[in-house]
Amino acid sequence: MNRKYYIIRRLLQMLLSYLIILTGLFFLFRLALPDPTAALVVEGLSEEAREMVRARFGLDQPLWRQYINYLVNFVRGELGLSFHYRAPVFPILIDRLYNTLALMIPAIFVSYLLGPMLGVFLSWKRGSRAEFTGIVGGLVMRSAPLFWTGMIFVMVFGIWLGIFPTSGMRTLPYEAAHFFDKIFTLDFLWHLILPMLTVAIYYLGLPMLIMRNTMLEVMGEDFIELCQAKGLSERKIMYRHVARNALLPVVTQAAITIGLAVGGQVVVEVVFSWPGLGREIVQAVRTSDFPMAQGAFMMMSGLVLIMNFLADMLYSYLDPRVGKEGGGE
Amino acid sequence: MADRRQRSLKERLSYLKPYLDSVLEPAKIIWQDPLGRAGAIIFTLIVLIAVFAPLLATHNPHEMNERIEGSIIPFYGAGEWEDYEIIGEDPINDLATGQNITAAITEANEVIVRGPGGEWEKENLNITREIKAITISGEEILLAGSGGELLSRREGEWTGEDLPGDDTIYGISSSPAGEVLAVGEEGAIFLRSDREWRRIESGSERTLNAVNFSGAGDAVIVGDRGTIFHYREGELIDPEYAGFQDATFRDLLAVDYHASGMAFAVGQRGTIMGFDGESWSNMESDTSRELRGIAIFSEDSAFTVGYRGVMQQYDGEGWGSLDRITRRGYRGITAGAGDNPGIIYGVDPYVNELAAPSTEHFFGTTHLGRDIWSQVVYGSRTALMVGIIAALMVNILGFTVGLISGYYGGRVDSLLMRLVDIMYGMPLEPFAIVLVLIFDPGLWIIILAIGLLTWRTNARVIRSQVLSLAKRPFVKAARVAGGSNIRIMLVHIAPNVLPLAFLQLAVAMGYAITAEATLSFLGLGPPRVYSWGTILHAARLSGAWRTAWWWVIPPGIFISATVVSVFLISRAVEVLTNPRLRGGNQSAPEPEESEDTLPHGQ
Repeated sequence: MNRKYYIIRRLLQMLLSYLIILTGLFFLFRLALPDPTAALVVEGLSEEAREMVRARFGLDQPLWRQYINYLVNFVRGELGLSFHYRAPVFPILIDRLYNTLALMIPAIFVSYLLGPMLGVFLSWKRGSRAEFTGIVGGLVMRSAPLFWTGMIFVMVFGIWLGIFPTSGMRTLPYEAAHFFDKIFTLDFLWHLILPMLTVAIYYLGLPMLIMRNTMLEVMGEDFIELCQAKGLSERKIMYRHVARNALLPVVTQAAITIGLAVGGQVVVEVVFSWPGLGREIVQAVRTSDFPMAQGAFMMMSGLVLIMNFLADMLYSYLDPRVGKEGGGE
Repeated sequence: MADRRQRSLKERLSYLKPYLDSVLEPAKIIWQDPLGRAGAIIFTLIVLIAVFAPLLATHNPHEMNERIEGSIIPFYGAGEWEDYEIIGEDPINDLATGQNITAAITEANEVIVRGPGGEWEKENLNITREIKAITISGEEILLAGSGGELLSRREGEWTGEDLPGDDTIYGISSSPAGEVLAVGEEGAIFLRSDREWRRIESGSERTLNAVNFSGAGDAVIVGDRGTIFHYREGELIDPEYAGFQDATFRDLLAVDYHASGMAFAVGQRGTIMGFDGESWSNMESDTSRELRGIAIFSEDSAFTVGYRGVMQQYDGEGWGSLDRITRRGYRGITAGAGDNPGIIYGVDPYVNELAAPSTEHFFGTTHLGRDIWSQVVYGSRTALMVGIIAALMVNILGFTVGLISGYYGGRVDSLLMRLVDIMYGMPLEPFAIVLVLIFDPGLWIIILAIGLLTWRTNARVIRSQVLSLAKRPFVKAARVAGGSNIRIMLVHIAPNVLPLAFLQLAVAMGYAITAEATLSFLGLGPPRVYSWGTILHAARLSGAWRTAWWWVIPPGIFISATVVSVFLISRAVEVLTNPRLRGGNQSAPEPEESEDTLPHGQ
């Protein structure tokens, strides 16, 4: 009962957060751009025609009325017309969202699969040269900016060695009836490897170091001593008893990382010309495509909130104390 | 009264001591840890580079660096040439070849001669007037220039010769029979035969640029606005044109008259005039650039060179483009004979674009010839400035929110923490992108974006620390003693959180530097200020980044080094404040090998 209550409360919190972000976005855009029809003036719109456009888009109504319209339209999935594509924003963004997820999910999966494993290894070898190298390596991986690693990868593997493609999701031209047609091919995997590795390497360092740190903390607990007294093998202690207990902070970190990754993804998409949400929002700034930028931001922040929510759910499942205490940080 | 005020000041100052201690303590700790020391050293180096940037930068980062040099390319024919060879510090204006010697004049009024030995040697000439043209007649070298200056070298001795006039000479040529023609401004034509100079009246006011002999007593002279004269046996003859359309009004700059009787004259805007032994006609060329040199190798092979390295080839029928050897502007070409190659010479001062690292440019140059080392050095200022300001902003916001939230608890806490949740719902890069779309690109937008958004982590970390401190007996004691909330927070709790805040400051700074680089890389930075991100942005925009490794690697190394150093420093503090992380717990399984490379392997 407590758990159900926790989930519902968390869900409501998420929706409230999203509403506040949407509100902030509305006022930011309205304050900065009181008259969106100004962008149409260059196309030689007369004063009467402008009035008509304003009336059609509801811009002649009071601000609170516009705000309600904005929210209603958002719920109906109407995010406006893109200035650049001259087409509705929403279907374009949905397509880009799939592309973004197709890169992000494998990358996060790889880094959170390998990271903790390496972390266990490091804590096992603590005090050794291997650990030292691992720690410094992990710090360096976290410090090298994503876009730079991506550029180096393109230069080395794409240009000098010429073994991986350097841009896009598929070799052009290609035909795909729908999204799954597009990604369940070898060609897609081929294109995925470089950008995926770029992201994975960047996010690998953190879970690795956190895992190592918590492993060392857990090793100091009394029950480990008990395990040793029982005569369990070192491997068994490390992987079965210590690692299990040390995973929790890694999961917390994963929740935050996934949120950050949505932002970090932007540069990787730009470097590898990956047709995702990030590249779209950068393009929107270049072409002053306000509806597109606004829609892309809505989608990204929605994605972050959902990811954070899912991670919290996973966390509460792994550590039942969370739900019972009423959801602390 | 004064005494009391003094004491209270002293008392007030004593409150600062815990703050001071909590700043100094981590500094000591950092220095004790080997990795922390490495981080501190790297960080200090970067700070020093930023402070002394104007001294360290070897060039103005905005300046397009030009290279000025005199070079030749030995040229055998289409697709066959030897390496570009730099033979002097100044561009070569004209070059002449003789039996065993080659002589060239440079823009710095010098003459360099290559004898049979193959070495280029500078001749010492004491003249103040500019030399414009050179020719070789048998063993004799002849130079001509402004003010009717004319010099001749016979058997190693330079002597001046008197021209019957003081017009500036632009072109000079000699025939196998020993005749010499010099042409120049205002239609001046001088002929030397039997060692005597005389003037030939041309009746033209136009500047004559070039002259060339095909054999004894037969030469072509060309000049501005399409001027062409034939010289035959002491007489000037006007040219015949194949059609009315065939005359040109463009300046003709060079001419070559082959022994077979054909001739080509080239000039401005890709003009090529051809002479078939009887009449001149305007020929189609594949360029609209200035052509400055023409050489006929045989009846069905001729080449012309010019501005920005443009090259055209004649195949017996017509003219077509030839792949450029370099993109540098040539000033002329001589024809090859037998085994001797022709020589393309010049070159115009050119932008030293995409040069690989050298002693002049430590990190090479960009596609606009800008010095990358200087850009990187100045970039460190931007990175540190943004890093420090943003980190301070983040820390002050996060510290305040965390302190208030943790101390008061209850509604205040849950309200503030919901605010933090909302902040977590907004990814940084897209947030900054939206800000740039609405306002304008600039450093302040970047600082603002980082500052407004990333205090969320600090607030959480500080809050959890304050939460546990607020329940400690000393806080309760302070409250009982009647301390106000503000006083308890600032005097009793804050100093205890400060080491943690210091740690967070380092982390925030590393994060801010990366964020600044990332946002600048996306083109959201200010256009005229260099930062490591904008350098990489420019590299990407130019398209040269795929091959110009020297443009991509250095800024990235600087970013990584700075961020790593900050991480190492913060880690040193963390390790020593949390001894369990040192890695040497007795109750844990023993490591296979133990070396003292890590901080304090107990």
